[in-house]
Amino acid sequence: MRLHRIFTRVLEVNINNGMSIVLVGINHKTAPVEVRELLAFSDEACAEGLRKLVDGDVVREGLIVSTCNRVEILSAMASDQLDTGARRLTDFLDDVRNLPPGFLTKHLYSHTNEEAIRHIFRVASSLDSMVVGEPQVLGQVRHAYSLAVEAGTAGRVLNRLVHHTFRVAKRIRNETGIAANAVSISYMAVELGKKIFDSLKGRAVMLIGAGEMAELSARHLVNAGASRVLIANRTEDAAIRLAQAFNGVPVSFDRLTESLGETDVVICSTGAPDYIVTEKMMRAAVEQRRNRPICVIDISVPRNVDPSVGNVPNVFVFDIDDLESVISSNIREREREAERAELIVQSEVMQFQQSLRAMDIGPTIGALRQKLQELARAEMARQRKRLGPLTTEQEAAIEALLMSTVNKISHPVLNQMRRSYEISDSDTVQALRDIFGLEE
Amino acid sequence: MRSLLLAVLAAYLNAAIHSILAFVNKRRSLLRVAAWSIAAGFVLHTGALVADWFIDGHYPLFNLRETLSFLAWALVAVYAVVLYRYRAQALGVLTMPLISILTFVALVMPGEPKEAPVGFSSTWLFPIHTTLLIFAYAAFFVVFMASVMYLLQERELKLKTFSAIFHRLPSLTTVNELATASAALGLTLLTVGIATGMIWSSSRDGRIWHNDPKEIFAFLTWLLYLSLIIYRSTAGWRGRRAAWLGVVGFGLVLCTFFGARLLGGYHVFG
Repeated sequence: MRLHRIFTRVLEVNINNGMSIVLVGINHKTAPVEVRELLAFSDEACAEGLRKLVDGDVVREGLIVSTCNRVEILSAMASDQLDTGARRLTDFLDDVRNLPPGFLTKHLYSHTNEEAIRHIFRVASSLDSMVVGEPQVLGQVRHAYSLAVEAGTAGRVLNRLVHHTFRVAKRIRNETGIAANAVSISYMAVELGKKIFDSLKGRAVMLIGAGEMAELSARHLVNAGASRVLIANRTEDAAIRLAQAFNGVPVSFDRLTESLGETDVVICSTGAPDYIVTEKMMRAAVEQRRNRPICVIDISVPRNVDPSVGNVPNVFVFDIDDLESVISSNIREREREAERAELIVQSEVMQFQQSLRAMDIGPTIGALRQKLQELARAEMARQRKRLGPLTTEQEAAIEALLMSTVNKISHPVLNQMRRSYEISDSDTVQALRDIFGLEE
Repeated sequence: MRSLLLAVLAAYLNAAIHSILAFVNKRRSLLRVAAWSIAAGFVLHTGALVADWFIDGHYPLFNLRETLSFLAWALVAVYAVVLYRYRAQALGVLTMPLISILTFVALVMPGEPKEAPVGFSSTWLFPIHTTLLIFAYAAFFVVFMASVMYLLQERELKLKTFSAIFHRLPSLTTVNELATASAALGLTLLTVGIATGMIWSSSRDGRIWHNDPKEIFAFLTWLLYLSLIIYRSTAGWRGRRAAWLGVVGFGLVLCTFFGARLLGGYHVFG
C-alpha cells in the first residue's frame, strides 16, 4: 500500500507541469526616480535580459515592461519551482544592473498567480498609473510584449495573459470613464472646445503669445481637427517660426479684434503685464462673428484677458485657476470611475484563472490515471476471493504489481498527451481524451 | 387594444430605464437596448393606433385618451429622428419617462366611446389639422429640452464649475442646432396646421376665427416661434436669449394644449 503511494507521488511530481505566473517589479509608488532609473531597460537591454532570464528550465517565459514610472518583470514558471523562480527574478534584477544584493528589497514587490494577473491588468488599464486613465501605459505594455515575442520568451501562458490584458484594458476604457475628462492644462483646450463646438474639425485657433504650454495646446487642437491657426506675437520671429510649425498665419497685434472675430478657440499666454484682450474688443469680435460662441483660454500670469470679457454673451473665458480647478474635479471623477474599473478587473481575473485552469492539462492527466487505477482495483476486488487468504505483504505486493502495470502502460500515453499539449495540438489531446472516455 | 398598448408601455418603460442607466453609467451598450426598445414600441404603437382607427371608425385623435396616446407616438417619432440625426441620447432621460407616462395615462383612462360629431369623420381636414399640430407640439418639446440643456451647460461654462450632468450632455453647438432645427420644423407644422384649421372652419361655418382660447394661444405661440426663427437667422440671435425663448415658448404650447380644456370654448371636444 505504502509502496504504491510513493510511486504515484513520484509520478505526480513528474507529470503535473502546472504553470504559475510570477510578477516582480518596482513602480513610482515603491521607489523614487533615482532607483527607477537604475533599473530602466532600453529595448536592447530588454531583449538581452529576457534571453538571459528565460532559461527554459526554471523560468519558462518572460516579459519586461520598462517605463519611466515602472519596471515590471512578468514571467511564467513551473508551479513546483515557484520559490527558486521568484528568487531568480530578483537576483536577475540585482545582477543585470550590478546592484548590491538586497539593495532593491525594500522597493520590490512580488506577486504570484492571482495577484500577478490582477497587477498586470491594473497596470495596462492604467489604474496603477500616477495619473489614472493616462493612455500611454497600454502602448508601453504592448511594446514590451512585442519585444518578448521577438526575443522568443513569450509562450503559451504569457501569450494568453497578455492578450487577455489588452482585452481588459480596452473593456475598462470603453465601459468606464477613467480616461474621459482632461487632466492636463494643455488638453483642457481640446476638451472645452469639444464641449462648446462639438467637433474641432475645421475650427480656427488663435495663439496670442508663444509660450510652450500654448504651443502644446495648439498642437492638441490641431490633432483634434482644428484646421486654421492664427498666431499673434509681439516678436515677429517667434510668430513666423510658430506659423511655420503649424502651417498657420501670423497676424498683427493691431488687428487683434478682427482676428478674434475669425477665431473659435483663443489661447493666450504672453508675458505682458496687462490685459491684451479687453471686453470692448471682445464685444466687437462677437458682433463680427454674429454671436457664434468663442472659447478663450488664458494661461498667462498675470492674466492677459480681462475677466470682464466673461460678461460678453457667448464668450467663455478660462484662466489658469479655472483650468486647475476643473482638472482637479476631473481627477476626482476619474478616481470614482476607477472604483468601477476595479470591479471589472476583479471579474476578469477570475475569468482568466478559469480559462487557465481549463487550459491546464493536469486535471486531464489526473483523471486518466485515476480511471485506470480504479479499473485495476475493481478487477482486483472481483477476483480477490479466488486468491484465498493472503498475508499483508502479499496483498501489498499484488497492489503494487497492479499499480505499476497500470502506470507503465499509461506512461507513454500521458507523455504523448503532455507533448501534444505543449505544442498546442489540442486535436490529439482531445483524441486521447475520447479514447479513454474522459469527459471535458 | 389595451393589451397591445400594454406591450407598448412595457417597451417604452424599458427604453426609459435603459436611457437613464446609460446616462448615469455612461454605458454605450445600454443605449442600444434603449434604441431597440424604442423601435419595437414605436412599431407596436403604430399598430395600435391604426387598429383603433379601424375599430372605432374615426381618426384616433379625438378624445383626450386618444390625443395623449397619439402625442406619445409623435414624441417617439420625433425623438427617434433626433437620435438618428444628432445622437443626443441625453434627451431620452426625460423624454422616454414622459412618453411612458403619457402612454400609461392613455392606457388607464376610461375610453369615451362617444361617436364623433357629424362632420369630423367625413372631412380629411380634421386628421391633417390635428396630426400636424400634435407633431408641432412634439417638435416644440424638443426645442424646450434642447434649450434647457443649453442653459444648464452655458451656466456651468460661465461659472466654470462642471457638475456630473455637464459631462453627459451633448455639446453647446449640438443642442443649439437641435433647438434651431426643431423650432423651424415646429413652426412650419404649426403654420400649416393653423391654416388647415382655418380652411376647415371656413368651409364648415364660414368663419376662420372663433376667438376661443386655443386659437388665441396658438396664435401667440406662432408669433413667438416666428420671432425666434427670424431673430436666429437675421440677427445671429443665439445662445442664452434664444434658449430662454425656447423655454418660454413651450409654456405657451402647454397653455395652448391644456388651456382650452380649462377655459372652455369652441375647441373642446369629447
